[in-house]
Order: sequence, then C-alpha cells, then structure tokens
Amino acid sequence: MESLADTLWDVVICGTGLQQSLLALALSRSDKKVLHIDPNDFYGGAEAAFSLQEVESWVEKVETGKEGLFEAASVKKLGGDTGLSFPRAYSLALAPQLIHARSTLLSQLVSSRAYRQVEFLAVGSFSIFKPSPDSSQKPTLVRIPSTREDVFSTTAISAKAKRGLMKFLKFVLDYDSTPQTDTWQPHADAPLTEFLLKEFKMDQELQTYIITLTLSLNGKINTRDGLAVIHRHLSSMGMYGPGFAALYPKWGGLSEIAQVSCRAGAVGGAVYMLGTGVKTMNDKDDPIVIELSSGDTIKTRKVVRANESATDRFGINRLVAVVGSSLKSLFESTVEGAPKPAVAIVAFPAGSLSTATGEASTSPVYLSVHSSDTGECPANQSVLYFTTGSEHASQDLLQQALDSFLATLSGDTVPQCLYKLQYKQLQSSAHSQANRSVFDFAPPASALAFDDSILQSVQDAWKMVLGDEAVEEEYLTFADREGAMDDDESV
Amino acid sequence: MASDDTLPTLKVLLIGPSGAGKSALLTRYCDDEFDPETSAATIGIDFKIKVLNVRGKPYRLTLFDTAGQERFRTLSTSFYRGAHGVLLVYDISTRASFLSMERWFNEAEANTVEGVALYLVGAKLDKADAREVTTEEGQALAEAHGAKFCEASAKTRENVRLAFVDIVDRIVQTPGLIQNARLGRAAGAVALGNGGSSGSGGGDGYGAYLPGGCSC
Repeated sequence: MESLADTLWDVVICGTGLQQSLLALALSRSDKKVLHIDPNDFYGGAEAAFSLQEVESWVEKVETGKEGLFEAASVKKLGGDTGLSFPRAYSLALAPQLIHARSTLLSQLVSSRAYRQVEFLAVGSFSIFKPSPDSSQKPTLVRIPSTREDVFSTTAISAKAKRGLMKFLKFVLDYDSTPQTDTWQPHADAPLTEFLLKEFKMDQELQTYIITLTLSLNGKINTRDGLAVIHRHLSSMGMYGPGFAALYPKWGGLSEIAQVSCRAGAVGGAVYMLGTGVKTMNDKDDPIVIELSSGDTIKTRKVVRANESATDRFGINRLVAVVGSSLKSLFESTVEGAPKPAVAIVAFPAGSLSTATGEASTSPVYLSVHSSDTGECPANQSVLYFTTGSEHASQDLLQQALDSFLATLSGDTVPQCLYKLQYKQLQSSAHSQANRSVFDFAPPASALAFDDSILQSVQDAWKMVLGDEAVEEEYLTFADREGAMDDDESV
Repeated sequence: MASDDTLPTLKVLLIGPSGAGKSALLTRYCDDEFDPETSAATIGIDFKIKVLNVRGKPYRLTLFDTAGQERFRTLSTSFYRGAHGVLLVYDISTRASFLSMERWFNEAEANTVEGVALYLVGAKLDKADAREVTTEEGQALAEAHGAKFCEASAKTRENVRLAFVDIVDRIVQTPGLIQNARLGRAAGAVALGNGGSSGSGGGDGYGAYLPGGCSC
C-alpha cells in the first residue's frame, strides 16, 4: 500500500461536513487521487449525529473551544438513568434540516445513485402553538392548512380568511411570472408580513401561518425570499407522494447523507482519515505541502476545506430534548395514502412565549418533533429539536417552549423529559472563496430547511479540482455500481 | 437470473484489517475468481449481490466490502446500519492482523443490532506453513464473542462457500433478526428512485392543490 507521503494527491479535502462530503461523492468516479481528512473523530462536522456518549465528548470539546462554530453546550440527564435506553440507541442530529421534495440535493442524490443507501421519511404537519387564553385551559396546537383541501376543511379560520388564503396560495404557485411579479416586486425588500397585509389583507393570524411555512428564524423574512420559500414548499407538496412537501433522512438527517457520500468517495478510491487535521500548510508552493496532525507530511495540488471561523456573533440557540412518549397524535397522516410522517413541525410565534421575568418572545421558536421512526431514539420516545435566533434570553425561551409544548399534549400525565442538550451555533455571513488551488466553503448554514445554494459551491469546488476535465453535464450523474447478480445458488 | 427486488434482502459486511483478504474472499465467492497479483486496496466495488436459496427460500444477499475505510479505521455508522451479519476477517499468517480482531469485534458489536450474526474467518489458509495464529486461538476468540469460526482460502477455495452459507443460515434462523435490522423499507419510507411525480405534481404545481391530491 502506498504511503501517504509517497502519493502526490490531486486534492486534500478537509472536513466531512455535508459540502465536503458531497464533493467527495462528486469526485468518486474521477481518477483523481483524493485524501479526505477530518480533525474530528466522527463524520459530519457541524451536520453530525451523535449517540449519547458522543454527545458528551462533543460537549467537552465545545467547552474547550475546539468546535469553532459552537459554544455554550451543556447536557443534562433528567431522572437519573431511568427511562433512557443505552447510549447507542440514540442518534441526535446537530442539523436536523428538512429537505424539500424539489431540492436539487435530492435529484443529485438520485442521479449519483447515493440515494440507495439513505432512507427518506416524510415530514408531516406544520402547526402553530397557541397559548391558553386563561389558566383554566391548556395551550393548543393548530395545524396550518397548506393545501387546498386543508383550507376547505379547516375550522380554525373564518370563511373570509379562507378566501384570502386560497387567493394567496394560488398566487404563490405562479408568483414568478407576470402579472404576479408586478404585484410583489415593488415590495421585494419589505417584510413579507407587510406584503401579506397590503396585498392580501391578511390578519396577523394568517400572516403567522404563512411566516411559519417560511421557517424564517427571526420571522422577518422579506417578500422576495419569503415567496420563493413558500413556492418551494407548495410546489414540493405531493412530489414524492401525497400529503407531504419535505423529507428527512433517517438516522440523523444530513449526517447520513455525509456518511453515505464519504463511503461513495472511498469506493471510488479516496483515502479516509478521521481525527486528523491540517497542522501547517504552505500554499505558496506547487504542489502544496501539508503537515498533518498525524505527523505525516503530504503533497497535494489542491485543497478544499471549510471556513469554520464564525465572523458574526449572532447565531441560533438549540435545545434537543428526548421525551418518554411516542407523541402519536403528531404523526398521523392527514391525507389518504400518505406515508406515515416521522417529523412534525411546530412554530411558537413571536409573542406566544414569555421568559421567567415576563418578557414576551420577539422571535419565533421552531420545534421539529422526530418520532422513533427516524431511528434517532428508541420506540416509545421522541426527540424534540427546538431552535430560535439567539437573543439574551434564548435558553430560557427554549425551556419555556419545551414546557409549553408538553402542556399542549392531551392525556393525564405529561410526558417526562429524559434528556436535554443545549448549545449555541454561531453563524457567518462569509461566502465560499477560492483561489487557484485552495477552496474554502462557507460555514454551514443553520437554517431549518436545507438551502440549495450550498450545492453551487460544491460544484464550483468540483470544477476547481477537475479543471479542464470537468464536464458539467456529467456532474453527479453516475451509473449504478453493483455488478450483475450471479446465478442462483441453492443450499 | 433473479432480478427480483422483492426477495428478502440480507446485508452482510466483511470487515477486518487491511490486507486480511476480505476482497479476495468476496471475489472468490461471488465471481469464483482469484487474482494473486492484486494486493492493492479495493477500489470501485460498493457491494456484490448474490441470490442464495437457504432451506428452500431465496434471499438476495448483498455483500459489502470496506472500500479501504478499514485502513485508518474510518468505517461510518451508516455502513453498519441494517447489517444482518458481519464476517470478521484476519490473516492467519500475520499475527498483528489477528491481534486487531478484538477491536473489530467491539466495533461491529457497538454498531449493529442485538443478535446480529457474527462470523470469524481466518483467511489465507493456503499459507498454513507460515501461520502465526493457531486454529485454536481463532476458535477461542470466536467463541468469546458468540461467533462461528472457520479458516478459509480464497486461493484454493477451501471453506469459502462454507463461511458465506453458514452466516446466511445463521441469519435466517435467528428469530426477529431480519425485522430488527430493519433494512427492509420501513412503513413510512419514501421512495425517491422514480424521480418523483414531476409530471403530475409539477408543471404549475397546482396539481397538488386539486382535491384528491396528485396521481402518484
């Protein structure tokens, strides 16, 4: 076997986050010599999924400042070890993003044949949390009607509101052609809520429904982006089956896609090293000389890595909770023939929660509820992923959201929270950057739905590595690898 | 030729240190070929498929090689997912390869479901003259992990079929294993392969809003 130092690598990919892993997949049928390393001893970077044991060592690393994009991580087992299963029975996702059916990521996974190793599950209902009007009543969850049938059948809104909502849904489906463009373009940079009020006379409640569908972290998405996101949602509906617009990869979301992509890279001949980072790099020379943290010194023509320094102090706060209930009522399919959803989304609109000191929330809190069908927890438990834009009382708000959510559930006993992980993920406005031989991906986004824009950076990096050999039409388009089946054999 | 996707599918992994002879066993079993020249790490093989009748019932056996990810021990948890059986392979003529097996057993046990069929194979039996590991040592290690054991040679074909057939037999005889490993598409899984209903649900996208939903 060739030693690392004897090989002149065509590219060293550093990090196994989604972007780098998709690049490895894209290069897996080229004859390029690829060395794929990650300073972490796990796959997936900021998109990883962890067993409870792995969560603990990750939290320790965050606390020593070794996970650049993350801070303020803590973990808590409630009620001792009772109720929790063994640590490997869990696969908690750092980036539990849902993927819209129309996402190019899905079509690329299909054309590259990587999808065969990933199991996709349906994302079901989107609901809004409604605080109780007085202390004698429970707070409730109201499902957002997002198909025509839903709008007709819902009892949650008035007949007038239904007409407004229908008019809007119809508008969005064809929003990017005239005369619709004439209607919204003057408001393109204004908040979507303003546009909804002015052009569709929507009251605040309906605005909240629409804003929730955008999954906008601060609730202040502008009209241009908001319409695009809602269009993506609506046009995704029904694409892979009735009754759902988005999918979620089983076993921890994007982490699974990263791992499967790295496997494809390895099948194509890439060499994988975890727990190995770049110690020093001299990119003035050609080839570039890199000293790895393992002590090896290697030579490579190109380097692709991710910028993991957060330039902005703002970010998101997350609370991941494991609860001892299957939360069945959230995972019922509402359309005949629809697959059983494994994920449900709940939004806590701005103002619907208040902190211990009585301050009302100013940003929405989003909750992604995952059933045990996601493989992220054992049967009869569920994983709750709460996310909100970071503010001074975010941690407190997330806890309020958890308590409030549990209070909406019917039944005599409120499900027990068994486990809590909290952390803050910093964001960056940095874009991907490239020079002749070094490509830096932008830090991963912490949005709630997968954003296709990172796919262009992956393709750009692929072009940089392949140079003149890059044939755009063949990008991520591969034949199946498995050989023909042998004749039957009987035993 | 059974191209039938409806057959129950069994996922069996071959793991163990680099150079133990995993790919040689796989190629001998699936293609009845042996190339003494290829000692290079395996490239380009994702998995091989073989249809096997065990006790009168056909199974679609998918055999996954490590794709070189054993070299620096970077096999992912997703690689192990849904595995029904694991063949752990070492080289009887290399002591170090045998000594690493305890760690490979631990990794396999940590990443698979309870009751997974484990099978230890001492490969390169044709090199018995230069053996550095006794048959008894292999047997004892296998027993300690509740695994079956044999020594085999991809070069001479000896015991190659035995190892694969035995592990499949053990898988199908373990109650609940096929269900527990959940390789079969779970209820609620969404099929992506047909590319979605871009025809009926697509276009202006309004199809999805018609009562009754789209036709898919």
